Amino acid sequence: MVESLKKLATSVRKETRIILRDRQALILFFVMPVLFVLILSLALRDAFGERPGATFPMLVLDLDGGEVGKAVVTAFAANPHFKVERRGPPSPGQAALEQDIRKGRYRFVVIVPQGATAQAKARIAQLAANFPPERLSDPPVQIRMLADPALRSDYRFMVATALAGILHGVEVKLTGEQMVTNLRALGYPLTLPSDMTRARAFASVRDEPLHSVRSGVIPSSVQQNAPAWTLLAMFFLTVPLSVSFIKEREQGSLARLQTMAVPGWVVLGGKTTPYFVINQIQMLSILLVSVYVLPLLGGDRLDPGNAPLALILLGASASLAAIGLGIAVAMYARTAEQATAFSSSIVMIMAALGGIFVPKVVMPPLMQELATLSPLAWGLDGFLDVFVRGGGVRDVLPESLGLLGFSLVCHVLAVLRYQNRL
Amino acid sequence: MTDSPLPDSGEAGHASVPAIEVENLSKTFKGAVRPALDRVSLKIPRGVIFGMLGPNGAGKTTLLSILCGLLKPSSGRVRLDGHDMSAETPRIKQVLGMVPQEPAIYPTLTARENLQYFGRMQGITGARLTQRVHECLQMGELEDVADERVEHFSGGFKRRLNLVVGLIHEPQILILDEPTVAIDPHSRAFIHQRLRELHARGVSIVLSTHQMDEAEQLCHHLAIINQGRIIAQGTLDALLQTQRDGCIRMQLKRPPPAGFDAILRRIAGVYAVRVEGARIRVNTEDAGQAVFGIVDALREAGLALVSLSFGTASLEEVFLALTEHPGTP
Repeated sequence: MVESLKKLATSVRKETRIILRDRQALILFFVMPVLFVLILSLALRDAFGERPGATFPMLVLDLDGGEVGKAVVTAFAANPHFKVERRGPPSPGQAALEQDIRKGRYRFVVIVPQGATAQAKARIAQLAANFPPERLSDPPVQIRMLADPALRSDYRFMVATALAGILHGVEVKLTGEQMVTNLRALGYPLTLPSDMTRARAFASVRDEPLHSVRSGVIPSSVQQNAPAWTLLAMFFLTVPLSVSFIKEREQGSLARLQTMAVPGWVVLGGKTTPYFVINQIQMLSILLVSVYVLPLLGGDRLDPGNAPLALILLGASASLAAIGLGIAVAMYARTAEQATAFSSSIVMIMAALGGIFVPKVVMPPLMQELATLSPLAWGLDGFLDVFVRGGGVRDVLPESLGLLGFSLVCHVLAVLRYQNRL
Repeated sequence: MTDSPLPDSGEAGHASVPAIEVENLSKTFKGAVRPALDRVSLKIPRGVIFGMLGPNGAGKTTLLSILCGLLKPSSGRVRLDGHDMSAETPRIKQVLGMVPQEPAIYPTLTARENLQYFGRMQGITGARLTQRVHECLQMGELEDVADERVEHFSGGFKRRLNLVVGLIHEPQILILDEPTVAIDPHSRAFIHQRLRELHARGVSIVLSTHQMDEAEQLCHHLAIINQGRIIAQGTLDALLQTQRDGCIRMQLKRPPPAGFDAILRRIAGVYAVRVEGARIRVNTEDAGQAVFGIVDALREAGLALVSLSFGTASLEEVFLALTEHPGTP
């Protein structure tokens, strides 16, 4: 046994040396997945659920300079989803504003027309004096909102609703002031509180997302992308692993080892252990980048959760599943080209099905059912248990066992094929 | 023939135990219509260079693969160095060395790293490994390129390394599959020389080859395999004798004049003459007697000889005769 373990260590050293001498493969193993996570986490921030740091650039063109413009700027500036810029008169003109939106400088432009506050006050004063609406001298103030046509309609609707709420608040404030003025004229010495927000009947709505629901949670961009691309990178190692096996078979070095007193598990372990280690380094580097580097680039920080053991268990099971698939492909494929085509296709199909590119929760029900067939979906669910749902080892156990079972099935198929070839 | 095979160097004490003994060995691959090996029996004496000849698809590689433990036979028995292959595999693997046709080495490792790796996998460690690596590099004359990656080696250097990797654990039985196919004459001569040296040290060598001159130069025991069966086996001399006939072959300096074949036919014992340019083939009842009359006829006609042979066939002729008519040794 000691002799065999020494041979295993020799084989691991040999395989590691071969891998380290292939610079292109190293870039593929480590740099590509990290880049994918960085790029996609930054690019797809808006496509996912929570975006605490997501921002829409907005221009408030305040041609009025009164309370209306101030209220709009103050309200949107307090919202972390908007980066508000205020600009006073003169107006650059409709064409220039449209150009700014087309160039992506602003996603929204809110135009507060000249004299808006005065017009609103005059209208409220007339209303307070019991003028019938049809006899009012000033029409209602028209606030305009220009929006990027590429924006989803629900986003436009939400901003328009928010704007209406802000204007409604201004209207309530102006009405209150008008009523106080009128009452004072009648001899009632009333004052309005200096801070109207403290005088509100309703507190702001408290947003309380649930963290322990097993399904239906929409992850943030980084919560989806970090584990998704970790898993894809891990499973993509089936390509070099299976090709490396086939090359050794074609070169005859595998046959040469078979003629020596080397147990089969030593040959297998020597070949696969470095790939297992690579998988773990891939996972660690993607997690570290998502936690520490992504926020520096303006992206969301990944909260790694409080269950490192659960992550280790998931990483190990996902790696063993990928290695099992690689070995099975190597046994069934006849050539390196066949192995490359087959393993990359099967991994891409499993990834697409398993919610790697599009989160499972936004898929139609039938696709969600089909997703459960993919080992990558099991792995992703496990990671989301930890990152989104605050789960621990017990929560990821079903997914890990699924991945280990998949690995076992692949290994059994590979052994059967190997024996059949003898 | 430029070189004669070496005499057996087997040790007398072990002579009774063949290096390899194969009994009724058959192998049928799944889905195949006929067996790749059909009841093959073979005894390879200890300390010889044994050549296995056969056309493509004859079953040579299948037989060698079974001898190396890479394939399981469908039936039959194999004993290596007196040990039953199915029961004593680990022990057999220690005495067996294999040199595949294509260089079975890692291209991105250096020659030294390849030797160290395969040495360790054979259980060799420490000072002995260092010594064996050094000896193998010396034997392959690879010291100058020992620390270069194999992917930068020429085909001949790769073959040399392929050979010495198979020798890292000093095997008593060495099996080589087409060791010199598609390499330059210098590398071929180099490998032949190393095989002769190994043979002189008592290593039993089994090689498959397509090259008749290689078999004639190296091997003194041969088996010809065709369609999964051994159709002839024995020493080189014995095999050449099997095709002995009364044929006399001549190469002249210039083509003979018309009617010369009729002159030859009149010589006692000659029954057929075929003239092709300056080459003449004469079939006789007794070549040893007829040759004198033929030489006289050539002298009288003023024809100069370039070469003349009779008595035995070449290995190529034996091979062709046997493989064209399978089952008639």
